[in-house]
Amino acid sequence: MVMDLNKCIGCQTCTMACKRLWTRDEGMEYMWWNTVNTMPGRGTPRDWEQMGGGFADGQPRPGRLPTRRDFGEAWDFNHDEVFFGGQGDKVHLQVKGEAPDWGPNWDEDQGAGEYPNAYYFYLPRICNHCTHPACLEACPRQAIVKREEDGIVLIDEDRCRGYRFCMEACPYKKIYFNHQKKVSQKCIFCFPRIDQGVATACARQCPGRVRFVGYRDDQSAPIWKLVDQWKVALPLHPEFGTEPNVFYVPPIAPPRLDADGNVDESKPRIPDEYLVSLFGPDVLRALEVLKGEMAKTRAGGRSELMDLLIGHKWKDMFGGFDRDPASIEWEKGA
Amino acid sequence: MNVRYLAGRDPAELLDPAAPFWKDSRPEPLRLVGTPSSLQPTAAVRAAWPDARIGAIGAVTVDAVHDGTQLAFRLEWEDPSEDRAIGDTTVFPDAAAVLLPSVPGAPVITMGAPGVAVNAWYWRADEERAGRQVVAEGLGTTRTVDHELVRTHATWKEGRWQVVIARALRVDSKEPVAQLRAGESTGYAVAVWEGSRGERAGIKSYSGNWRELVLAPVA
Repeated sequence: MVMDLNKCIGCQTCTMACKRLWTRDEGMEYMWWNTVNTMPGRGTPRDWEQMGGGFADGQPRPGRLPTRRDFGEAWDFNHDEVFFGGQGDKVHLQVKGEAPDWGPNWDEDQGAGEYPNAYYFYLPRICNHCTHPACLEACPRQAIVKREEDGIVLIDEDRCRGYRFCMEACPYKKIYFNHQKKVSQKCIFCFPRIDQGVATACARQCPGRVRFVGYRDDQSAPIWKLVDQWKVALPLHPEFGTEPNVFYVPPIAPPRLDADGNVDESKPRIPDEYLVSLFGPDVLRALEVLKGEMAKTRAGGRSELMDLLIGHKWKDMFGGFDRDPASIEWEKGA
Repeated sequence: MNVRYLAGRDPAELLDPAAPFWKDSRPEPLRLVGTPSSLQPTAAVRAAWPDARIGAIGAVTVDAVHDGTQLAFRLEWEDPSEDRAIGDTTVFPDAAAVLLPSVPGAPVITMGAPGVAVNAWYWRADEERAGRQVVAEGLGTTRTVDHELVRTHATWKEGRWQVVIARALRVDSKEPVAQLRAGESTGYAVAVWEGSRGERAGIKSYSGNWRELVLAPVA
């Protein structure tokens, strides 16, 4: 998958698409296999970038387990009281029980910089379905498999005994523990849809056309073009050593303003070093390519790259996984 | 260890760690040691768990009785923390197991080997009375083959766990589980996991190689 961060508006439609499809069962309340965080920020689970895991010099790097509070507990609201209790004019909507101290898309919504040059961007994240999956390699029970045909990484819930070595090992902290079933669970890249030629729910539901789906080595499809041909899509934290298969087109913020309110192009609004810390040193070249192609179109020219990123034809973004899910007779529970 | 024969016991009584008949016996004290880090199945586990961190529980006492049909082990050990529920993602429950060879000569240290299975009767503090019957043919190969035949009952008081793990001597199973007979001997080993220290899977204390288990004949 490639996600173009210049198009993400942080609307969380991807998050809700995933939630409604996959994580509605008991024990999954606090799970968000797809999250969208504001960057810079502490993310979800909070401070996940400092939790270790992954590999350093090819060797496993110990990681720590996030707590449920780090992920953010599922908030339970007094909907019944407000909407059905006949007290709508007396009570207001509020969280039931203990006030939560952290939640995705809430306390993490941070950003950085000073007015008028504050900056932020949204970072959607799913399991990276890594080429070198730390989770799979950490599991002592071989309960995690990487599918031969497409590289989707899946947890076999029958093999899983809830030991959570995978949660420690995943440097992206994208594995959740189901306290009801006592097994670990995570993004399955909508494999039942992929098997039917349907793109993931997060990709299809995205109003911003942020997400591209397809095989990395399909030279006629957008992933290869963006990652390997144009080299404008990069993995998040490549130094974690797991070789993610989710890539990001880095964000270009509006230009800075100087003290007089004039455009100041001398340096970028989002500091280069921050983007390098997220996407590695190759991000600078990627930004140059993006800016060059944008300038071309601004001058009235054509850019194959910009056309690709705009996604004029929605279905062209899905690398052949463009079947309409409504056209399929889905087996319940299958 | 000699397993006493007690005639005609009620199954609930056999499972009770406070049943009077346990008081008449002299349980066997076992020293436990941590499993070697080098034998953990994955590099990530080996990196996170050096030898010094493994094996929180250093001693357990073991006792066992049978009534000709059921065999009950009673384990007792000191543990200041009662870790029953998985309250958070970072929390692990206490656990214990008795290991028996399904096939004579199956290795303990590697949890069996291909074609030479071992059979664990496993209790975990968050799973109430349902024990697990586990079969393994090598490190990382454990699988639960049933949730019904092994019964457990655990009490924690005054900083000590008292856990009874019981199963029928012989069970109807296609799986390579231990089939026992009164009057015969086999081997046994014990493992204990300390939840508060994050022990789970191969991270545990164990009693080393097989010790002899002699089942008294039915009198």
